[in-house]
Amino acid sequence: MTAYLLRRLLGTLPVLLLITLLVFALLHAAPGDPASLLLSDATNEADVLEARQRWGLDRPVHVQYLKFISAAFTGDLGRSFRFAQPVTELIAARLPATIELAALAVLLALGVAIPLGVWAGARPNSWVDNLGTSVGLFGISMPNFWMGIMLILLFAGTFHLLPSAGRSTYGVAGSQESGFYLLGSLAAGNWPAVKDALMYMVMPALTLGANMVGILMRITRSSVLEVSHEEYVVTARAKGLAQRSVVWRHVLSNALIPIVTVAGLELGTLLSGSIIVETVFAWPGVGSLLITGVTSRDYPLVTGLVLMYAATFVVINLAIDALYAIIDPRIRY
Amino acid sequence: MKFRRGKLCAWIVSLLIVFGITTPLPAQTRVAIGVTETMETFNPYGDSVSLLYGIWCQVMGCLGTYNFDKGDYEGMLAERWEVKDPNTWIFHLRKNARFHDGSPLTAADVVHSFNRIRTDPQSKQKQNIAPIASAAAIDNYTVSFTTKEPTAPLLEYLFDRFIVTSKAIYDKYGADVADRKYPIGAGPYKFKELIPGQRFVIARNLDYPGMKEKKQAPDEMIFRIMREPEQRVTALLNGEIQIAQFIPPHLRDRVEKHPASKIAPVDAVEIMFLAMSPKFKPWDNLLLRQAVAYAIDRDTIIATLLKGEATRLDGPIGAGQYGYDPNLKPKYEYNPQKARELVKQAGFPNGVDVDYYTPVGRYTLDKQISEALVPMLRAVGIRAKLLTPEWATLWADVQAGKTPFYYMGRGSVVDPSVALSQYFETGGSPRIGYSNPKFDKLLAQERQTFEPAKRRKVLAEAMSLLTEEAPAHFLWRHQMLYGIAKNIDYKPTPSGRMFGTEIRVLR
Repeated sequence: MTAYLLRRLLGTLPVLLLITLLVFALLHAAPGDPASLLLSDATNEADVLEARQRWGLDRPVHVQYLKFISAAFTGDLGRSFRFAQPVTELIAARLPATIELAALAVLLALGVAIPLGVWAGARPNSWVDNLGTSVGLFGISMPNFWMGIMLILLFAGTFHLLPSAGRSTYGVAGSQESGFYLLGSLAAGNWPAVKDALMYMVMPALTLGANMVGILMRITRSSVLEVSHEEYVVTARAKGLAQRSVVWRHVLSNALIPIVTVAGLELGTLLSGSIIVETVFAWPGVGSLLITGVTSRDYPLVTGLVLMYAATFVVINLAIDALYAIIDPRIRY
Repeated sequence: MKFRRGKLCAWIVSLLIVFGITTPLPAQTRVAIGVTETMETFNPYGDSVSLLYGIWCQVMGCLGTYNFDKGDYEGMLAERWEVKDPNTWIFHLRKNARFHDGSPLTAADVVHSFNRIRTDPQSKQKQNIAPIASAAAIDNYTVSFTTKEPTAPLLEYLFDRFIVTSKAIYDKYGADVADRKYPIGAGPYKFKELIPGQRFVIARNLDYPGMKEKKQAPDEMIFRIMREPEQRVTALLNGEIQIAQFIPPHLRDRVEKHPASKIAPVDAVEIMFLAMSPKFKPWDNLLLRQAVAYAIDRDTIIATLLKGEATRLDGPIGAGQYGYDPNLKPKYEYNPQKARELVKQAGFPNGVDVDYYTPVGRYTLDKQISEALVPMLRAVGIRAKLLTPEWATLWADVQAGKTPFYYMGRGSVVDPSVALSQYFETGGSPRIGYSNPKFDKLLAQERQTFEPAKRRKVLAEAMSLLTEEAPAHFLWRHQMLYGIAKNIDYKPTPSGRMFGTEIRVLR
């Protein structure tokens, strides 16, 4: 399997290269000059020219791209025009916020969608099935920016139960060194900080995970329903096994492949969804950084971030492939 | 038992006395502000937005600031200044100015700051020292700035903009470590925390002269990034923040109707105008430009679309801005009949077709305002076709001088000299492409006139000429609405800077 994974990993390199080329070309094709957008309105033409020169924008696009890509191979994604810092540093500073948010969203999604989907699949046309279908459709149909605003209005604006935006309360927040507020506070046993982190995370995580809940729930239901009609399940029932044992040990384990596949794909969607959710909740992750980068035509920052998103997507898919072999021993690479 | 209880009481009383618990400490006051600008860099020179200038001014210290109530400049680190000759400005620093570590702030720090603004690769503030050729320390508390040419509006460049940082710390640690690890300034507030993308926290510096007397100034100020207006309003009503920047008109009611919050309006120093570039036909025609000025019913737009939240401009600037003259002529009153006649006199008896560009979402109700302007123009025979390119595209074209007719704003206009030069002086920038030797001469003259009353007069003459010539029709200044908790007394400033010393927490 290691050889297979390595082969796959190598195979992703051209994909990543193509993505950077595409993003680079699109960014340069888009109208708008970073120097005039980023410098003050009172800046004179000489300073604009100097900035363009300093950022290498006076060189041909293909030269700029080659410079970017050769540096990228050494782990250097260039310096952000907007923030005048290395792009890798900016991403590293913001990534923990996105990872924590995405992880909680996935946990919430899996925790709700799989039990509900299994239950609904095991008892088709029951009230549980109807409830699950409704939840699923709600999750799929709601645009996450709208759901986010509604949650803010309800839980922050009306009931004053949760903070409306941001990531932590000044003076309460736990570990800021690692950037993982929740995990860092948990590790340190700083319970007020854990509570604080969760209070800020719950609404964005729910918003981010809602769509995944809907899709996963539907997939789990149909997969469980399909497997339930297999002969080995009928045999298990005929042997007198309890319903719980039949469903969780025989049905679910065999229904997992499509669920894991869709979960993997949905993780990618979740990453792109985080761009909107982070904006709605003023969440200081890589998504909101990307928005800032795009609006200010910060070429290195946007290219670096897109490359990161693409690489993450590729790695997730690779991990899903590896999981197949663990879930189903018949699969060999 | 009695003895034990008595002993216990004695211990408790002793402890209370020792630790001073008997006299309750005053509670720390904290004011959180929801702001729209992102805060990313520890480098005080790494950004050029009004909010951050204000924060760094409070932490590091600024030479001076503009007092909008007085309509004049006042010193902060500089206690006074003088113009030695038309090219030499002398600034006398306060002798009691000290950095937060106790070391004195001297002229060497000011010169160092000048050099850093000029040479730091991260500096986005070079435009603030553009007119200055060199800076020199005359003695420990006196600095001289030599300008490239006589520049009467030099304070417009420097005050609220020129941030002074410690030379000693920079020399010892270098830029990056000094900025990140030792953000020690000489301002009325101290640096507490900056989490990029999240918040900037500053705390009151009681050693700053006069700060102890400002008992109601907040002990801590937390600037929280909240770019969406809904976020800021909800956070204000939820008690998470006490001041919310820039409330859009449609959310005003929500804030005003809440029992714990209020709205404070302020005329921004951003001037909104319609640019008509005379280097393009038909805008080379003065009569047509004037027809536009008569065709637009600014009062109705302000009263209806803007719900009264704007102040009409008769000329480039309004009340509170430096050099404002309420009697400036001409004043273009809404007169569609006259506008129609002017269009005909301009040589367009059957009207004229023009392209009209507007940003979308950049300024308050920009697209809606432009949609209202188009029928007004059409009614007098100027058949404007509304075009709405994305901001980055429009701005690039405007800067390159490729856009003939557009709606735009120019911010940070306290003293109008710089903005007038940038947009209307020959060679200032290609944005409008207007060129008038008489106007150029007046601008050059005002820059060389150091006596304020005389300078105001020359400025007024230049602005009158510009209004008459109408390469741009000046429309209004938007009112910026701030949502403020009722236990906070704060009058927002037109420039958007937020000084803790101007905020009072009502305990």
